[in-house]
Amino acid sequence: MVRRRREGNGVNEQSMAEWSAVVLATAKARFVALGADLAQAPTEAQRAYESVYAALMTGTGVRAATYIAILLFVGIAVEWLYWMYAYSPLRAAMAMPMLTPAAALRVGLRRLFLSLSGLLLFTAAAIGVSAAFAWPPHVHELIIAATLLLLVLRLSWISVSVIIAPGRPRLRLRLVPVAQPQARWLAAALMAALALLALGRFLPPVLQDGVAQASHVASALRFIAYSLAMLILFVSAFAFFGGRDVRADVPRAPLFPRSFPLALLVAAVYAVWLMNDRAAAVAAIAAVVIALQIGLRPIVYFYWREDDGALPAIVLSLSRFVVALVGIGAAAVALDTPLATLAEDVGPWVRVGLRLLGVAVLALLAHGVWIAIRSVVDQRLKRIGPIDPHEPPDASSRLLTLLPLLRVTAAVMLLVMLVLCALWALGIEITPLLAGAGVLGIALGFGAQALVRDVIAGIFFLADDAFRVGEYIEGSGNTKGTVERITLRSVALRHHNGPLHFVPYGALGSVRNTSRDWVIDKFNLPLPIEVESETIRKMLKKIGEDMKADPVLGPMTMEPLKGKLYRIDPGVKIFRCKFRCPPGKQFDLRAGALKRIEAALKKMDVQFADGRQTILLQNPA
Amino acid sequence: MHGGSLVRTVRLVSGLILMAFVTCHLANLAIGMQSLAEMEAWREVLTAPWTRSKPVFFLLATAALVHATLGLYAIASRRSLALSTTDVVQLVLGLFTPPLLIAHVIALYMSIRVSPGFADSYGQIQAVYWSFAPSYAFLQLFVVVVVWMHAAIGLYSWLVLKPVWRRIGGFVLPVLFAVPILALLGFAQSGQEVLNRLAADPAWRAAILENVGNIAKATRELGNLQSNAILTWAGLVAVAFGILAARILRARMMPVQVDYDGGIRAMGRHGLSVLEISLLNDVPHAHVCSGRGRCGTCRVRVEAGAPSLSAIDEQERSTLERVGAAGGERLACQARVLGAGVAVTRLLPAFADATAAQAPDEWSAGAAKETA
Ligand code: FES
Repeated sequence: MVRRRREGNGVNEQSMAEWSAVVLATAKARFVALGADLAQAPTEAQRAYESVYAALMTGTGVRAATYIAILLFVGIAVEWLYWMYAYSPLRAAMAMPMLTPAAALRVGLRRLFLSLSGLLLFTAAAIGVSAAFAWPPHVHELIIAATLLLLVLRLSWISVSVIIAPGRPRLRLRLVPVAQPQARWLAAALMAALALLALGRFLPPVLQDGVAQASHVASALRFIAYSLAMLILFVSAFAFFGGRDVRADVPRAPLFPRSFPLALLVAAVYAVWLMNDRAAAVAAIAAVVIALQIGLRPIVYFYWREDDGALPAIVLSLSRFVVALVGIGAAAVALDTPLATLAEDVGPWVRVGLRLLGVAVLALLAHGVWIAIRSVVDQRLKRIGPIDPHEPPDASSRLLTLLPLLRVTAAVMLLVMLVLCALWALGIEITPLLAGAGVLGIALGFGAQALVRDVIAGIFFLADDAFRVGEYIEGSGNTKGTVERITLRSVALRHHNGPLHFVPYGALGSVRNTSRDWVIDKFNLPLPIEVESETIRKMLKKIGEDMKADPVLGPMTMEPLKGKLYRIDPGVKIFRCKFRCPPGKQFDLRAGALKRIEAALKKMDVQFADGRQTILLQNPA
Repeated sequence: MHGGSLVRTVRLVSGLILMAFVTCHLANLAIGMQSLAEMEAWREVLTAPWTRSKPVFFLLATAALVHATLGLYAIASRRSLALSTTDVVQLVLGLFTPPLLIAHVIALYMSIRVSPGFADSYGQIQAVYWSFAPSYAFLQLFVVVVVWMHAAIGLYSWLVLKPVWRRIGGFVLPVLFAVPILALLGFAQSGQEVLNRLAADPAWRAAILENVGNIAKATRELGNLQSNAILTWAGLVAVAFGILAARILRARMMPVQVDYDGGIRAMGRHGLSVLEISLLNDVPHAHVCSGRGRCGTCRVRVEAGAPSLSAIDEQERSTLERVGAAGGERLACQARVLGAGVAVTRLLPAFADATAAQAPDEWSAGAAKETA
């Protein structure tokens, strides 16, 4: 946004000193001129009035007035038509129950939109039609100035009535934390100040260039209007912002009263204006931006309680950003300069100020991103909750290691980027820096390739929930064991024989997790060929039901023991038994089942099939 | 017919008569876009009949007098300042109308008396406006804007409640604005023509100058007459507002209370209508006709305290009937709270618009569904 400087520092300093001298000299000249204007204004006003009156009291004047009346009718007609359709939605919006300030905000936006559209139609119709007439000299400018004045006045009123909503306290339309008795006065003061400012902006040019040719009156009028407006704002700063937070239910430590900086801002803008017109516009915009930045926090927390999590912080920083950005745009408009050439044709102070402003915007942007990242991470951490050191660690422990690291990484990256961008915005060459950092980065990158791969693979294992501490897993490449520890780069697996494997995530490959949800255990039961398979099946089923009813084994059973004839070998009937249970419980359950089977077989007087085989040798003889 | 409703009807009719006259007048001006001669010719048809024929003129004058008087009466008989923006605009414009018109009429009348034949010609009047005394022209422009806006608001808020508005609305509204715009264009066009003729025709100019000279001698008398009339009017307005203030102050000592659906409670003064209490307390309440008892959108079901409400008059009865209200329902704008307090349920949503008056069935069905 700011072009790179071409001149060296020495030149800059010198020009700055020169420039300051010039500013002081012009300010002095302005004061002298202002004094002359004020002194001459009354006589000139008399003359101007006479000439304007004379100009008006002719056929030309009548024609102009007729056309104005026509414009008025056209504008009213268009807006009337608009309100025929827009009035019901407006009333519907206002009739909604406004339980929270956020609801009021939604309604306020709708009111703003509806009213602004009507105003826009009126203005567009009036100005558009005015182009169709052949106006007497100077009158068209007057018409446009009057329409703009009307536009600004109505715009101010719409904004004030939507934001401060001075009337109808019971509807709770107000969008800012201001108490009722103050709201009316604040609205009145703001309207008065805005009206004076608009008057001081639009009337003097007409007086100066029109029929009146009254430049002294114009500048005197401008001076008086602006001074009065500033006085009103100055007094309002003390009258309305000296008090405490409106939300009396939130006890607060006493803060530095906001009235002082606000009043100071007003005074500063006024002082700048006394010296230089063009700078004053920028100063005024800067003041509004600063005032908004001061006021944004209470306003945002008016909508969201502080315990609403990350939202208010994000909104706050976003709105800070938007305010700053709009301010810069407005400043560019006020200076009447395209942003690209801004750095070239204004004084060095302004240029430095603009660069600092650019840096501030960057900082705000970075701050916003940082807040967003931080609040997401914090939210996650809060959800996991503190880790109990006596409990066995689980998946969240890894998250607990990872998240703060992520946060720090983000912070460092943001900071680096911010510093680089800020340097660039201030006009300092950063290309060598970037190049150096690039070489270093490449070197580091090669070395850290494996590390990075491991960490990233780990993130994905975590995201897939592939394993947790205490689970038995098998990775590719013969790594298996119970997960004992999860770290940033690797997982520690305790093999069932004792050794502890440290497997980097990158080398883990496909994971087979045997500790999830349930297992099915199957075993064979060889019995002599003579036994009746149906009896055995029933017996096994009975045992399964018994186990289900058992206080110890029962809860472990997910599907009770069942068995059926599976194969008949010579002399042996093989029954296959199976049950389903949670992982890790199959050993206990199988032991219990076998014990019961054995006892039951004994009772039935059935032996297990013995391995003996009778071989009948036939003698060839 | 009950008093209040008779007054309203008379006011409406007188207003319509006046508006018809003003429309003819403006239409005549609009013809000036064609030419001054056409304008003079059409004058016989459009404007002259209103002043030439005695009965018509009498009717017109009576209408003006009655309309102004009833306007003041309406102010004096108000019970509160609960007014919509449109009403305020309408009222202020209405207050401005008589002095402006008085000035216009008296000036014309004096001119005719001083130099007969003068006012018979649009050309001469235009010449005065555009060349000899432009300040009168400014006055005229102001009158047109004020009077026509007052009339347009009045006509619109009367018509928009009628079912017929759905068919004619799209046509009436453009006409309502086309009339003054065309009239002003005609005024400007013929003014230019007159200026040209003044420059080209010295004899004509001399004739007008003589007339103007005659009138100028009477200026003093004219000014006196005008300021007397305006002062009288201002006095009458002050009296009307004084009565209003006195009524408000007196009623202030007797507070009453209204309970609404949704657990809302509002306080008001004795004698205020339920609607006025709603508006003064920011209770959302539909009131499309601004409490004139014509639209029926403000109607409420009285849940308790019905005896402490004022009796139903003819106007309210007929409106209730038209919108198909059930028993126990009242128009909030007509039912005044005379006892300690009442409890009511608002039957239409606060955002009900003119369509609720044009086709009450659609809205009552919707409202019934909502409550069910
Ligand atoms: S407001 Fe229209 S009838 Fe009551």
